[in-house]
Amino acid sequence: MSGEDFDALDRGDNDGQKSDKMFTLKKWNAVAMWSWDVECDTCAICRVQVMDACLRCQGESKKDSYGKQDCVVVWGECNHSFHFCCMSLWVKQNNRCPLCQQEWSIQRMGK
Amino acid sequence: MSGLAKTAVLAEEGGNNQNRKRSLHITEQCNNKRTKSDDMSANEKKSNFSLLNPHSNGSVKMTSSSMNKPGAATKKLVIKNFKSKPNLPENYQETTWSKLREAVIAIQTSKAIAYSLEELYQAVENMCSHKMASQLYVNLTNLVEAHVKANIEQFLSESMDRQVFLKRMDDCWRAHCHQMIMIRSIFLYLDRTYVLQNPSIHSIWDMGLDLFRHHIAMNTLVQTRTVDGLLLLIEREREGDAVDRSLLKSLLRMLSDLQIYEEAFEHKFLLATERLYAAEGQRLMSELTELAVPQYLAHVEKRLREENERLLHYLDPSTKWQLIHTIERQLLSEHLSGILDKGLKALMDGPRLADLTTLYGLFGRVKDGLVELCKHFNAYIKKKGRTIVIEPERDKTMVAELLDFKEQLDHVVTTCFQRNDKFLYSMREAFEYFINQRQNKPAELIAKFVDVKLRAGNKEATEEELERLLDKIMVLFRFIHGKDVFEAFYKKDLAKRLLVGKSASVDAEKSMLSKLKQECGGGFTLKLEGMFKDMELSKDINITYKQYITPSQHLSAVAEGGGLELSVYILTMGFWPTYPPVEVRLPVELTRHQEHFTKFYLAKHSGRKLQWQATLGHCVLRAHFTQGKKELQVSLFQALVLLLFNDGDNLSFEDIKTSTNIEEGELRRTLQSLACGKARVLSKAPRGREVHDDDHFAFNGDFTNKLFRIKINQIQMKETSEEQKATEERVFQDRQYQIDAAIVRVMKMRKALSHNILITELYNQLKFPVKPADLKKRIESLIDRDYMERDKDNPNQYNYVA
Repeated sequence: MSGEDFDALDRGDNDGQKSDKMFTLKKWNAVAMWSWDVECDTCAICRVQVMDACLRCQGESKKDSYGKQDCVVVWGECNHSFHFCCMSLWVKQNNRCPLCQQEWSIQRMGK
Repeated sequence: MSGLAKTAVLAEEGGNNQNRKRSLHITEQCNNKRTKSDDMSANEKKSNFSLLNPHSNGSVKMTSSSMNKPGAATKKLVIKNFKSKPNLPENYQETTWSKLREAVIAIQTSKAIAYSLEELYQAVENMCSHKMASQLYVNLTNLVEAHVKANIEQFLSESMDRQVFLKRMDDCWRAHCHQMIMIRSIFLYLDRTYVLQNPSIHSIWDMGLDLFRHHIAMNTLVQTRTVDGLLLLIEREREGDAVDRSLLKSLLRMLSDLQIYEEAFEHKFLLATERLYAAEGQRLMSELTELAVPQYLAHVEKRLREENERLLHYLDPSTKWQLIHTIERQLLSEHLSGILDKGLKALMDGPRLADLTTLYGLFGRVKDGLVELCKHFNAYIKKKGRTIVIEPERDKTMVAELLDFKEQLDHVVTTCFQRNDKFLYSMREAFEYFINQRQNKPAELIAKFVDVKLRAGNKEATEEELERLLDKIMVLFRFIHGKDVFEAFYKKDLAKRLLVGKSASVDAEKSMLSKLKQECGGGFTLKLEGMFKDMELSKDINITYKQYITPSQHLSAVAEGGGLELSVYILTMGFWPTYPPVEVRLPVELTRHQEHFTKFYLAKHSGRKLQWQATLGHCVLRAHFTQGKKELQVSLFQALVLLLFNDGDNLSFEDIKTSTNIEEGELRRTLQSLACGKARVLSKAPRGREVHDDDHFAFNGDFTNKLFRIKINQIQMKETSEEQKATEERVFQDRQYQIDAAIVRVMKMRKALSHNILITELYNQLKFPVKPADLKKRIESLIDRDYMERDKDNPNQYNYVA
């Protein structure tokens, strides 16, 4: 069968079916990545990405079944974010955000 | 002889008899004591004694035991002095000696003895008891000496065939021994009394030996002739001729008995042996070809066997160590590396197990043999392993070849090298060396090999076989230095398997994971485990989501698209490989679903954001063809393209591109899979395998397929070198964090450390190759970040900053 014949045939059939939808979506297996909703993806205190455990936690190779769940992210009122571990050490010395020097108060915690 | 002694005892009468018995008994006890106290000489005497008359010992014992019969003890014993001392006839000594002399000469000339042996024995005894022993001994010595001296003549004639000479020597020796036994029997009493009481005097037997040694064996000409004759015979036997072994044995025994074996024979013999085998070794080695090494080994084994036989048959056992050692040295020690250089490769390549066993056995005999073998074994592995690893053309089969190679070596070490620890260790060392000769690639290929094995549709192995195979792969993995490279590639493949649901078995996956964990610790598998965890969490989330939308008022809006079922895999960023974010234009219906889900998810997990990965999405499409309904399993991109044909037929490449916003290369591949692959649901004009910019596409309503569900395979983009580089780049990025963590770990523990010690510690901890310069950079960076500081006084020392 030559290409032209094939096309002609094709078009003819399609005309007859035009009313019905040719394709309908039945199922969609989507994939999405989650990450902390932060402006800066490194923790300004330990310089490690907030998605990873902080340097100290890595150094102590903390292993629990959830991996990093114990090294979550914390947001201040100033919307700056850090590792919770890093920040709790930081506020013992200086209760200000290391980035903007505002008084530190927790806005929300990662969950 | 013992018979004689017994008769003599019985011939005595009455109380005298008793007395005699006792005195004899005492003498014997005395004899025993002497035997103990004078160990060396007694042993020699005894050994000579027993050598020629093995029964004598037993008989003596019998005699002594018969004397202790209880019946004898009941007789009352009265001892009285002689009334008058009995006198001997005037010429008693001369007549008696002439009698004895006659007898000895008769023995020496192999004639019949005119007197009974009993009579002769008694004569000797009488002479001894009348203090004529010393004279008797001298006389006897002279007599024997004269005879022995006379015997030498026959050996001194000029030309004599060696064989005949040796025969005659043997005869002479045998005759001498025979005569001396007879003589000793007659003169037993002399031996037992006079000789025993005078330590400086040889026993009669030893006297005979001494004379024989002195007059015949120590004669230079005779000795040279004898020894040369013996060596010639042995050499002929070594060349393969059959020789008279009993003659050899008898003459060598003679030399031993005369105690000149070592000085007269052994030395020359070992020298001759050494010469012969040195020449043989050199000759064989010089013409040794690679294939002939097994023959050479067999030859050495044969030689050793032969010489051992020789030792068994005629050589003195004392020669054993030196003889065997000489052969080993000349045929093996001298040529260790020669043999290995020429033969080991062919033997290992075979592998010729039997020959390797022989090789191991032989090399084990000599000093440094196994060390040398181990060294060559190691070099062989490194060389061969390197050829497997180093050539890019062999990448496809590298892992399989390595597995075979390892298995073969294991087999050799187990069956041929007795699982020698040194060899096992050497093998491991060699593997580790060559496998890291090429950076990263082996790790990558091992990861991909595992992927193929763990992927569904791989039905070639049962669970147990797969498990065994994974174990073998882990052995190879152990040798890899850049384990993180493996992890990166393994992770990429694992992600694919999980997301597409292509994993063959969860058990196998978990088992592989636990093996990795065991090997590299939990830190290594943390992220891989996280991936499995994500899959499970996603399942839960999808269930809750379904429950969330069912009663919801939004349902009508959501369901508008004809009951689209949405399920989402939520992956943790960082656990998974990073995928380039792609923005595509989704149909309204999909966008609505997506937003709906996002709202649901973020409500549950605050502080998070979702990034949709269009490249990883999959769909099931219902399709209406003229031949009937079908279900198409397609990727999200394929679905997006196909959905366009609901609204318009005959679309140009450009149209599709603008409508979907799919990246050009990706779109080209997508269209190719739909219009040029196996299942052509679109038709392309003009036809062809490649997709060009001005091509047009139309719905192919005539599409037929015998299956209802059809999977349209995506055309896999060949993993470009850039992509591979990117993976490697990520690995190196990750390594920096690991170095940081290691430095902090070490410093926290040790508080203060000098630069060099810190670097050494780090090399112990880090499992991948790093340059010292890189470490230095990381240290600088940590100092900048106030994790540590340089000591104020000593710039070479770091202090930990808490």
